[in-house]
Amino acid sequence: MYLKLSGAILIITAAYLYGNNVSAAFRQRVRCLEELLMSLEMLQSEIGHGLTPLPEAFLNLGKRMNDPAGSLFLETAQYMKLNRGLSARECWMKALKKNFLEMEYMKKDLHLLERFGKVWGKGDKKGQLAQVALMQESLRQALAEAREEQAKNGKIWRYLGLMGGITVVIFLF
Amino acid sequence: MEGELFVAFNPNIVMEQICPFLAPGISRIIEALPVELLSRLEEIRIRHSRPLTVYWAGGEAYLSSKGVVSRIEDARPASGEDIEKTVELISGYSLYAYEDELRQGYLTIPGGHRVGLAGRAVVEGGKIKTITDISFINFRVARQVKGAGTKVLPFLVDRRSGNILNTLIVSPPQGGKTTLLRDLALLISSGVGVVGQRGKKVGIVDERSEIAGCYQGVPQLDIGFRTDVLDSCPKAEGIMMLLRSMSPQVIITDEIGREEDAGAIEEIINAGVVIIASAHGSSLEEICRRPILGCLLEKNYFERLIFLSNKKGPGTLEMIVEGEKGLPLYSARSGWE
Repeated sequence: MYLKLSGAILIITAAYLYGNNVSAAFRQRVRCLEELLMSLEMLQSEIGHGLTPLPEAFLNLGKRMNDPAGSLFLETAQYMKLNRGLSARECWMKALKKNFLEMEYMKKDLHLLERFGKVWGKGDKKGQLAQVALMQESLRQALAEAREEQAKNGKIWRYLGLMGGITVVIFLF
Repeated sequence: MEGELFVAFNPNIVMEQICPFLAPGISRIIEALPVELLSRLEEIRIRHSRPLTVYWAGGEAYLSSKGVVSRIEDARPASGEDIEKTVELISGYSLYAYEDELRQGYLTIPGGHRVGLAGRAVVEGGKIKTITDISFINFRVARQVKGAGTKVLPFLVDRRSGNILNTLIVSPPQGGKTTLLRDLALLISSGVGVVGQRGKKVGIVDERSEIAGCYQGVPQLDIGFRTDVLDSCPKAEGIMMLLRSMSPQVIITDEIGREEDAGAIEEIINAGVVIIASAHGSSLEEICRRPILGCLLEKNYFERLIFLSNKKGPGTLEMIVEGEKGLPLYSARSGWE
């Protein structure tokens, strides 16, 4: 009897944790996109007002933002400063792969972030700011979608995990 | 006295200061060049879909991945990616931070080397706003030839008063004007030989960042510790600014010839400040015919005229002339007069 009870508790807990985990991924995606959006706002002022060169601007962003957005900018800046003949896109892609590739919850946004790499450092101030504005717009859309998904699926997954666990226990016993 | 003022240079300058700013494919080719060629290299030309070319005094070579090739067809053409990467590297991935420089058509990289850029000019209100679609890049290797001015300096000092004389250096392009100006700035500022131990306060108006090779306002070449530099500033305005703000005893500037330059030169000479300037040209007759320079010469503002050529390489001293009477003090044919 005790064995059955502890087995049932174990199954329900595992299922609840799994559901919670899936739900947390929706939350993390929203948080990460918010951080990236905030970074671009800061970058806009670094370029627009300070004309700060990109490696320095990325370094400043990297220090101020939370991971993984912070690490993405920091490591891109570090690759740029190495001065080993890498293009801005190559630096960005290297940092992106290192920080985002294994993050399941950002998979949908990876292609968007890859696209950003193509525009860094190209064109004059007006052109670069226009590109940053475009990136912001794309991120805003992705963020709206992520928020919607979180509202819709976040709660469902948490309950689904718990309910799934209970259902399995009922079937088994 | 030898005609040539300059000597061979350190080949490491190209390897250490230029190669990191080239696209890796081009950098590898340049790094593999023979040391004798690297030590004489003056320009590296990267043109879209055209053969990669290097220039030195009186010569050019086409390059492929195997090094120097004799036939143009065998040379490696520069790709769009080569150019894009090179532009990113020289601008520190931030072309937007160099709009003023782009308007002038060049950027300066650490070491004071100038990188000329050409492509499609964007014009707004009749003025060049920027350059886009960059397809032509020219790396000009900045070489400091310490001692280049030692041989001419005694001619530029008044023997009785010890004062520096107003001087105009004349040569065709790549004749060594800027190198000589830079070394004169160093010698006069440091105070060696005929100038006396104390040296003079020198002000350089470096409109095209060539004399001092400033990178982010800091001179990359040795111009002496009593020298102030006004970088990327229009000459006439810069001369007046330096005169008001830094109280120089000698002002050095490159390539005069515009009407406003003449006004500024007149002003500083009347203020008792010495001017050492350079101008494009090849002979006394030719510069006398030019409206602005001719007018300045007529008024005897320049007490010494130095003529250089690149017959035996940049900095071949052709002639030094006394400004007022046009008497030659030195000529390459007869030596000392």
